[in-house]
Amino acid sequence: MDNIVVNLTVNGQSYRGETRPNQTLLYLLREDLGLTGTKDGCSEGECGACTVLLDGEPVNSCLVLAGQADGREVLTIEGLAQNGALHPVQRAFVESAAVQCGFCAPGLIMSSVALLKRTPNPTAGEIRTALGGNLCRCTGYTKIVEAVQRAAEELKHG
Amino acid sequence: MANLHMVGQSVIRKDAWTKVTGQAQYASDVSLPGMLYLKIIFAGRPHARILSIDSSAALKQPGVVVVLTAADVPVNQRGLIIPDQQVFCAEKVRFVGDQVAAVVAETAEQATRAARLVKIEYEDLPVLDNPLGAMKTGAALVHEDKPGNICHQVRLRRGDVDAALAQADIIVEREYFTPMQEHAYLEPEGGLGYIDEQGRVTVRTSGQSTHDDLRQIAAALDLPQERVRVIYGAIGGAFGGREDVSIQIALALAAWKLQRPVKITWGRDESIIGHGKRHAIIMRHKWGARHDGTLIAAKVEIISDAGAYNYTSGDVLTNFRYAAVGAYEIPNVSMDGYAVYTNNVPGCACRGFGSPQATFAAEMQMEQLAEQLGLDPVTIRLQNCVRDGSMLATQSEIPRGVSLPKLIETCAHEIGAYRQAGGWRMPAASPAEERYKRRGIGIAAGMKNSGFGWGFPEGSEARVVLHGVAEIERAEVHTAAADVGQGAHSVLAQIAAEVLPIPLDRIEMVTSDTADSGDAGPASASRLTMFAGNAVKQAAEQALQRWRDEERPATGGGRWNAPPTTKPDPETGACINSISYAYGAQAVEVEVDIETGEIRIIKAVAVHDPGRAVNPQQVSGQLQGGIAQAQGWALTENFITQGGYVRTDRLSTYLIPTILDAIPDIKLVCLEEPDVVGPFGVRGVGEIGFIMLAPAIVSAVHNAVEVWFDRLPLTPERVLSALLPTSG
Repeated sequence: MDNIVVNLTVNGQSYRGETRPNQTLLYLLREDLGLTGTKDGCSEGECGACTVLLDGEPVNSCLVLAGQADGREVLTIEGLAQNGALHPVQRAFVESAAVQCGFCAPGLIMSSVALLKRTPNPTAGEIRTALGGNLCRCTGYTKIVEAVQRAAEELKHG
Repeated sequence: MANLHMVGQSVIRKDAWTKVTGQAQYASDVSLPGMLYLKIIFAGRPHARILSIDSSAALKQPGVVVVLTAADVPVNQRGLIIPDQQVFCAEKVRFVGDQVAAVVAETAEQATRAARLVKIEYEDLPVLDNPLGAMKTGAALVHEDKPGNICHQVRLRRGDVDAALAQADIIVEREYFTPMQEHAYLEPEGGLGYIDEQGRVTVRTSGQSTHDDLRQIAAALDLPQERVRVIYGAIGGAFGGREDVSIQIALALAAWKLQRPVKITWGRDESIIGHGKRHAIIMRHKWGARHDGTLIAAKVEIISDAGAYNYTSGDVLTNFRYAAVGAYEIPNVSMDGYAVYTNNVPGCACRGFGSPQATFAAEMQMEQLAEQLGLDPVTIRLQNCVRDGSMLATQSEIPRGVSLPKLIETCAHEIGAYRQAGGWRMPAASPAEERYKRRGIGIAAGMKNSGFGWGFPEGSEARVVLHGVAEIERAEVHTAAADVGQGAHSVLAQIAAEVLPIPLDRIEMVTSDTADSGDAGPASASRLTMFAGNAVKQAAEQALQRWRDEERPATGGGRWNAPPTTKPDPETGACINSISYAYGAQAVEVEVDIETGEIRIIKAVAVHDPGRAVNPQQVSGQLQGGIAQAQGWALTENFITQGGYVRTDRLSTYLIPTILDAIPDIKLVCLEEPDVVGPFGVRGVGEIGFIMLAPAIVSAVHNAVEVWFDRLPLTPERVLSALLPTSG
């Protein structure tokens, strides 16, 4: 199998690399770019630990081929903080104690960021629906919902 | 209670910041230059003799460095309690996740491809897929060096159970079954093996005890323990599933033999067959009571599926000696328990360690008795539950500070029950909106020991070093205690900050490295905040005293020893089995869809006693997490095996609760009754949130649809077939 070349923007930086045609975006991020914040929890799109934003949309990067990201923009957990300042969602997760083992946190945070961009005032039901593809085994989800509500409040008030 | 300034504060976890930025490094996030990759070859079949292993085709593949087999392991044994398992199987395989060989190659892909080319010839043997068949005389042997498949047998005798049953006004006799549960921590196993700067073979991984891992690696590699090192980074959950080794020995072996760094990462399917499961247990109960609801006798038989290897099957079974009768004082008890080898995935530690299973059966017995005696579920529990001065089935007095009666009453109030003449009146469930739904309310109570108990020496090591000149500028707290997600490192820092006259941000935690610290004991049995907490408190107090005596830097530490427990009498089970318990009462309102069998939990009340919450926000996180995990065990997590094969080896087939399943309304009430052992009165809360939810749900379902369920999980299919009228 010949390699393919992909050009994409990851966290605002251009990246050009060679990869196998059957390689996933998750693999490219973790192995080729060393961005290990995005996690592999199941390799089949069930757990959401690999969630990144692809042109602003949350995707399971384990189910996206690297080639499919060619010419597109990827935002990972490492790219959320701006100038050393954490995104309100990141801060809310910490302050609401929504982080225990933290393995699900990057994926959940990315899904939450995408939700709040399109629905700045989500109801609890809308939060749950948006995060339905992100599994967490530690928290029972209660504080995760609280964290997203807290972040929504903060974003509302600027 | 003493006025505390740091204990009791919901301070932010120290490690939360790196976890939300992606900087925290879990087992598979770390790499080293020149690294090789390890791929383990599993048996893939439940019971077979190994006839031959031919690695020649694999060795010819590009990038392949070596294929490791049993012959490469200096002492081919492993096992946390009993070394009845091999690192790589030599003569036979006993379950699908048994490890037979491992390929090391330059890339993960090369190792995976080559692994498929290792030719292993097997002769299949009869499969023992359930403990009842396996315990019969004449059954095929899982371990041929043993006389039979019963790997543990325990007895408990208190009083005269047969005489008491003969005098009972009412007898309830039922059989219960609880299934295996997969821990499903989000982080699959992985790690990095390498030789460190001091020539020690080092494994950096995720586990529950650095020292338990180290001991097993050193033993298998026939190395002195000082030549081995285990380090944990960020850990993505454990719940008991990382208590036994998985990849550690194979990884250490590869790194040591090749003198190069080696990495392994398991996929979810490898993880599910590669580590143990909650024991599936058959529980046969025969209880006798008086008309007024007083329990007088309990005869119990426990049959536990140990799976292919012991792991901690004996210890889970031993816990039934006190746990089989639930949180109740019963003067006449007999218990016979068997842990049986089968060709299933081994049973291992899983949040609750037998207590969830035991509590399910005991609570359903109480529900049966209540119904047949015309008593309400609150009164019958208050009448019989343990309290200060109670005698346990192990004929020892329960440690003082038993808050359970108060917790049950509070839970009852919170769910809407109220006292009336003759007892309590349970509330009616709220009306369902649709005519094909039924709602019900149920309540349950339980307890869980903290620490190992049963005469095991118990304790934890820690060291505190205070730096500065005139004032303490910074404090180092050294502990090997594993933070598996529960927040141990943060609360231990809080405990140190309570003792030392410095703010929390001047405390540096140095953790989870056998090269740095002594044995803190595992993250299990709800023990770390209590025992590692006491070790840290003691070390900080010592260091502070030496600081005041002008020692610079001032160091304190050593081993904190827990008050002793005693070994059970083999015939009666009598002993001082535990020095501390956690308690709880939970109630739920459920809604059953009688057309689909689906169950939704509308609301829950959970009343617990953390003794003294070091960090209330973390405590509530533990309780909420335990509730969700128990909900999964009760309703959606159906671990299916057929003839020893695992059919649910992925998260798409093994369904853990999503945020959409989570109970939307959980009222958590924490009442603090200080524990006599824990630092500042702390009680362990890691497991108690899980313990009594399943029977609360099943009782609520009965309240809704008047059907009893004696086994879990209550999948829609199971519920529906119980609801549909039988034909004919």
